[in-house]
Amino acid sequence: MTNSSLHIGRLLRSTTSDCVIGCRASELNLPAFGGMVRIPLAEGTQIFGLIHNIQIEDDGLIRQLITSDNVPPDVLLDNRNNRNVPVEIGVIFIGYQQDGVISHLLPPRPPLSLDEIFTCTPQEVVAFTGNGRFGYLRHILRRDDLPQAELLAAHIQQAGQIHLTHGRPDWVEAVTRELVTLLRDDYDRLMSVLSAIGDINLS
Amino acid sequence: MTNNPENTSEKSLGYVVGGSLKDSLSVRLTVPPQEVKEGSFVVIESGDWRFYGTVTDLQLGSTNPRFADEQSENRLPPEVACLLHGQTLFTNLQVLPALMQEVGPDPASPEYEQWRSQHPDDSGLQPQPVKTVPAHHALVRSARAEDVANIFGEPSQRNFVIGYTREQNLPIPLDLEKFVQRSSGIFGATGTGKSFLTRLLLAGLIEYNKAATLVFDMHNEYAYDDIASDTKEVIPGLKSKFNPRVRVVGLGAGASIRGQSPDFNLTLAESDILPEDIEMLTRELNLRETTPATLEALWHDFGRTWFSEFKKMRNGAMEEDPITGKKVPATDSVAFWANQAGVNVMAAEGLHQKLGRLFNKPYIVPNPPQDSLAEIINLLASGKHVILSFGDHETDLDYLLVTNLITRRIRDEWEKRTNAYRSHPQKNPEPRPLVVVIEEAHKLLNREMAAQTAFATIAREMRKYYVTLLIVDQRPSQIYDEVMSQLGTRVSAWLGDEADIAAVLSGLAGRDALRGMLARLQPKEEALLLGWGVSLPIVVRSRRYDQRFFEELRGASPPGRSADDAIRELFG
Ligand SMILES: Nc1ncnc2c1ncn2[C@@H]1O[C@H](COP(=O)(O)OP(=O)(O)OP(=O)(O)O)[C@@H](O)[C@H]1O
Ligand SMILES: [Mg+2]
Repeated sequence: MTNSSLHIGRLLRSTTSDCVIGCRASELNLPAFGGMVRIPLAEGTQIFGLIHNIQIEDDGLIRQLITSDNVPPDVLLDNRNNRNVPVEIGVIFIGYQQDGVISHLLPPRPPLSLDEIFTCTPQEVVAFTGNGRFGYLRHILRRDDLPQAELLAAHIQQAGQIHLTHGRPDWVEAVTRELVTLLRDDYDRLMSVLSAIGDINLS
Repeated sequence: MTNNPENTSEKSLGYVVGGSLKDSLSVRLTVPPQEVKEGSFVVIESGDWRFYGTVTDLQLGSTNPRFADEQSENRLPPEVACLLHGQTLFTNLQVLPALMQEVGPDPASPEYEQWRSQHPDDSGLQPQPVKTVPAHHALVRSARAEDVANIFGEPSQRNFVIGYTREQNLPIPLDLEKFVQRSSGIFGATGTGKSFLTRLLLAGLIEYNKAATLVFDMHNEYAYDDIASDTKEVIPGLKSKFNPRVRVVGLGAGASIRGQSPDFNLTLAESDILPEDIEMLTRELNLRETTPATLEALWHDFGRTWFSEFKKMRNGAMEEDPITGKKVPATDSVAFWANQAGVNVMAAEGLHQKLGRLFNKPYIVPNPPQDSLAEIINLLASGKHVILSFGDHETDLDYLLVTNLITRRIRDEWEKRTNAYRSHPQKNPEPRPLVVVIEEAHKLLNREMAAQTAFATIAREMRKYYVTLLIVDQRPSQIYDEVMSQLGTRVSAWLGDEADIAAVLSGLAGRDALRGMLARLQPKEEALLLGWGVSLPIVVRSRRYDQRFFEELRGASPPGRSADDAIRELFG
């Protein structure tokens, strides 16, 4: 994670609760599964999201290349940099900021096509995840189609690492406690989330 | 009423999560379970009201049984497992609420003034029996010294300290004024400390000196100093400690009690014995159903001298009829009298033979030198305390006969005095309240005997006549339940038997919750106080009955508190 906010792509499509971002394969070292992104809208509003999926589609050329015996390095490079099918990044919305005030509710309206998407700075991560009482977790827990345990663990690993140096050192403990509270009526789900959290390593 | 805002920082034990007035309240514990014990006295702060109750149980719980079943600490890193357990596994307290009290808002708060103007004085703000429940999430804390004093009273001569709370060692007094207003009981299996509790209470009663006490001391335990069989320590005797106020009466002429000669001896006149005294011994003497008819005939023929006359008759004596020369019953024989009186000869002879055990009792004499029964009554009426020691006459027969006979006389006397006082209060003094102490009470108060002895009547209605019982027993289940349910104050040490436990709790609210507590008391020197005379059921460690106790009683040092305690109380 870098200290500055980096551009990772532009919006492909969107709903009120999530969106898909297109990005070039060459920029794929930036976003990470479980990472937090922000999408600035007009007039001091920005949406916060969490990367839950990174998808690379094939095209005709790739199919051809794969069947050939060997792929020369310059062809490989060219295909990575200049392919015309973008990498698709799935993001769920977890909140927004308006006039400096952070909310864990869904944004009032989704971003528009080609809106730019950036990674969050550590300060933004600390400000968003440390604000309020972890209300944003419900956007993740509501989605049965997501690999929740893995997504939560990846998010907690990344955000926890930042909190360790930039925010609340007991943040991981607090978010884990909140998850236990939210999930204690669902033994199986809670145990899979907790064992994923148990695999987190903070340095 | 005490309102102590400095103490709000004090840690709570947990908060109310459910329950009902009928059963008990559930309290989610927020401290380690080791910090609370069964039987402790807790306070629940619910808005303007304060509730007082007793912890009757601690239960392990889980939000979902699987959290309890599976050892997740093996699957998860310790920090994560700890977070999980902190929220899914818990301990609940069961609290039996007993009293509630309106305390109003915090005196520092703006609402206080308005509330106070609606409650200008403290009347109506006294603790009262619970009629409702505290709110969800009301905070629960251990009782503090001022709560104990508020509920049980400040220790004094009248408020006699009988023990101390388990956790904080706070003194728990019994109100002796209330104690003597109804019959009471001390229970516990053998060796749990009943006799010591009785000694304590007697010492308290004698010191307070508002009621007379009469102790039927079957085993010669109470009067003189004794050596404890287990600890070899000296057990101070009541006579030794309260000499002029306590009189020791030995049963039978020339009786000596533990090598000491009593103040005087009790001998009974043969004419003191009434047919009903014999009927009461039916089981002890193994009498037949024909007995009442025979006794009735004896009473009819001889009146008050029946016992002497019957004793004089010769059983089986025959003589020759001068006319016919046949063997016939002698004129001084039992059979002769029976034939004359129209009573079955066999029945009369059988009764005579069985009464032989009484005819031979040395303490029953034709003409006693003085009316020692009247002497006992006079002593009691004039404010003395009497310990009747049975000396060598320790059999059940002696105990049953003598206690019943004396008690019957006392009952008649106190009834007479009470009626005289009621009809002419100016002319006659108010009778002095009397507490009759009986060890091994089940012998006199079992279902079969209860109807025939004076004791059941006393337990039921004699409080109107200023006489109550203090019954001491190890088998409360064998005592007639109608008597048990009348007992005001009950002090019970450990009991193992289900039936005994049920008997001690009979007629009380919250029986089910209290049951387990009795079975789990320490085997010695712990007791559960309960009943009408006790504001709230509570477990105490019994006060020690020893030399130090008497020093405290005489005011040399305050009850059971060290200098440290006093300093803590002064400076918080
Ligand atoms: N309050 C006390 N102060 C000092 N010692 C006590 C006290 N209570 C109990 N004990 C100890 O416990 C022992 C047994 O007590 P105690 O004789 O009163 O039992 P009990 O219940 O009367 O037994 P039993 O039914 O056999 O008469 C005593 O010898 C004494 O050592
Ligand atoms: Mg005893």
